[in-house]
Amino acid sequence: MATRTNPDSALAGLLPEGVDTERVLIHGGLIFSILLMGLPLILALIMSTQNTSEVYQVTNVGVGSQGLSNYETALTQYNFGQYIINSIVMSAIIVVGKVALSLFAALALVYYKLPYERAIFMFILLTLLLPVPVRIVPLFDLMSRLGWGNTIMAITGPYIASATAVFLFRQHFMAIPASLVENAHLDGVGPLTFLWEVLIPMSKGMIAGVSVITFIYSWNQYLWPLIIMTDQSKQVVQVGLRFIQGAAQSGLTQWGLIMAGAIIALLPPLVVLIVMHRPLLETLAIQQK
Amino acid sequence: MPEFTKPFDSKWQAAVLLLPTFVVLIAFLYYPGLETFRLSLQQTILLGAQKSFVGLENYRTLATSAAYHKSFAISVAFAAVVVVGTLAVSLFVSYLLFQVDVGASTYLIAAIWPYALPTAVAASVLLFLLHPSLGIITHYLELLTGLSLDWFTNGPQAFVIVAVVAIWKQLGYNIIFMVAALNNIPGTLTESAQLDGVGHLKMLYKVYVPLMSPTLVFLVIIDTIYAFFATFPLVDLMTSGGPDGATNLLIFKLYRDAFEFSNLGLASAESVVLFAVVAILMYVQLRISESRAHYGG
Repeated sequence: MATRTNPDSALAGLLPEGVDTERVLIHGGLIFSILLMGLPLILALIMSTQNTSEVYQVTNVGVGSQGLSNYETALTQYNFGQYIINSIVMSAIIVVGKVALSLFAALALVYYKLPYERAIFMFILLTLLLPVPVRIVPLFDLMSRLGWGNTIMAITGPYIASATAVFLFRQHFMAIPASLVENAHLDGVGPLTFLWEVLIPMSKGMIAGVSVITFIYSWNQYLWPLIIMTDQSKQVVQVGLRFIQGAAQSGLTQWGLIMAGAIIALLPPLVVLIVMHRPLLETLAIQQK
Repeated sequence: MPEFTKPFDSKWQAAVLLLPTFVVLIAFLYYPGLETFRLSLQQTILLGAQKSFVGLENYRTLATSAAYHKSFAISVAFAAVVVVGTLAVSLFVSYLLFQVDVGASTYLIAAIWPYALPTAVAASVLLFLLHPSLGIITHYLELLTGLSLDWFTNGPQAFVIVAVVAIWKQLGYNIIFMVAALNNIPGTLTESAQLDGVGHLKMLYKVYVPLMSPTLVFLVIIDTIYAFFATFPLVDLMTSGGPDGATNLLIFKLYRDAFEFSNLGLASAESVVLFAVVAILMYVQLRISESRAHYGG
C-alpha cells in the first residue's frame, strides 16, 4: 500500500500517470488481500479431492485422484448427509420462529398503547447479557428435566426469541410513515391483518436481512448442540466435523476427507451470504445504531 | 417514539403478541441465567445427585486456582490480540474497498464472506493447512522465515495460530461495518483533505479513524465478546486447550469443568465470571454510545 501519495493526485484526472499508479496500488492491494483471505479455502477445496498419499506429499497442490469421491464418502459413510439435514431443519425452525415471534413482539411494542412499554423493551434487550455460556449448566439441567435431550426442541427452543430481531423490527416499524398506519386504522383493520397486509409487505428487506443473520448464526452453533445432542445421528454438521476428525484419525489421517466435510459444512451459509448480501448489509447497517 | 397515535389499545391482544417471546426468554434465558448464580453457591457430588450449599467456596477456589488465573490471563491476552489483529487487517482492507473506483461491490463480497464462515470450519481447514508436518502453509512459512513451526508442542505458537484463525473468521463482520462507516463520511471532508495533499496513511489515521470511532468502539466490544465466547470450536478442534494450557481459554475450561469433570458448582461460578465480562463490556458500549448521542457525533 502507498505510504505516500503523489501530492499532485489531488488534481484527480488531470494527471493520468499519478492516478494510474494509485489505482494499480489499490486494485493490487485488494486482490492481494482477498487472495490471502481466500487462500485457505482454495487449498482446502483442492485437497478435498486428494487421497491420503497425495495429501502427505505436502507441496502437492494438484487436483487429486479422488475427484468428488471424498464428498460422497463424507456424505454417506460419515453421515454428513444426515448432519446437513439436521442443520437445515434446525436453522429453518430458528429462522421462521425467530422472525415470527419478533414480528409479533415488535407489533405489540410499536402499535399498541402499552403500559410500561419502555420496561418491557428493556426486559427483552437485557437478554443480550446472557449468551449461552453464561447459563449453560442450568440450561442443560432444564433440558434434561423437560426430557428434551436429543430433540430438535433442545437446539431450537433457546434460540427462537431474540433481543436483536425485536430491536431491528421495532426500529423498522417506527420508521414507517404515520399516514399509512392511520389509513389502515381508519379501515378498521385488525392487528393480524395489519401485520400481514401492511407491515410485512413493507418490511421485506428487513425480514430477509434478519433471516440471513439468523441463518448464519444458527448454522454456526457448535457448543450447545455438542453438549445437548448425545445421539450422533441427530447431531448438526458443525459438530459432525469433530466426529469426522476423530474417525479419520485411525492410521494415516484422511485429511482429504476432512476437507470435503469442511467444504460441505461451509457451502450453505456461503451461498446464502452471496445471494442475499444486499438485505444483509442493509439490515446490519441499522443494527449498530 | 413513533410520531403517529398508536392504532391499537387492547391490552390482552398486546399481551398475547408478547407472550411467545416472553415465554422463551424467561424459560431459556432469564431462568437459567439466574440459576447459574444459585448453582455457583453449591457444590455437586455424585454427578449432580447431591447438592450442598457452600457459599462463596467455588469463587474462593477460582480466586486461588493457578490454572484458573492462567486461563483468565490467556483469555484476556487472546482477546487483545484478536481485537487488535482483526481491527488492523479489517481497517486496511476496508480503506482499500472505500478507495476503489470500479468493481467495488464484487470486491466487497469477496472480502466479507468470512462472515458466513462457521468457526468449526475455519478450525478444521487451518488445523490441516497449518499442521506442523503436513501443512502446506506451514511448509512455505518455514521456508520463508527459517522458523520451525511446532505448535502442537510449543505453547506460544499454538496461541498465535489459534488467534490467527479467530481473526480470519472475524474479518468479514468487521469489514462490513467499517466500509459502511467510511461510506457515511461526507465527501467534502475527503476532498478538502486531499487538496491539502495529505498521504493515504495519514488520511486514514488523522481523518477517517477519528470519524469512524463510534463504529470502531462498537467493533472492539463485539470482537472482545467474540474472543471470549465464540472461540470454543477453535480450541476444541485445534488444541484441546494445550499444549500445557497455552490455549486453555475460559470458555474451554468452563466446558471441561462442567461436562467432563461434572464440577457443576465450580463451572457455574466460572459462568458468573463470564457474565461479569459481558456485562462490563455492554455497559461500556452503552455509556459510549450515550455520550455520542449527547454530543451529536
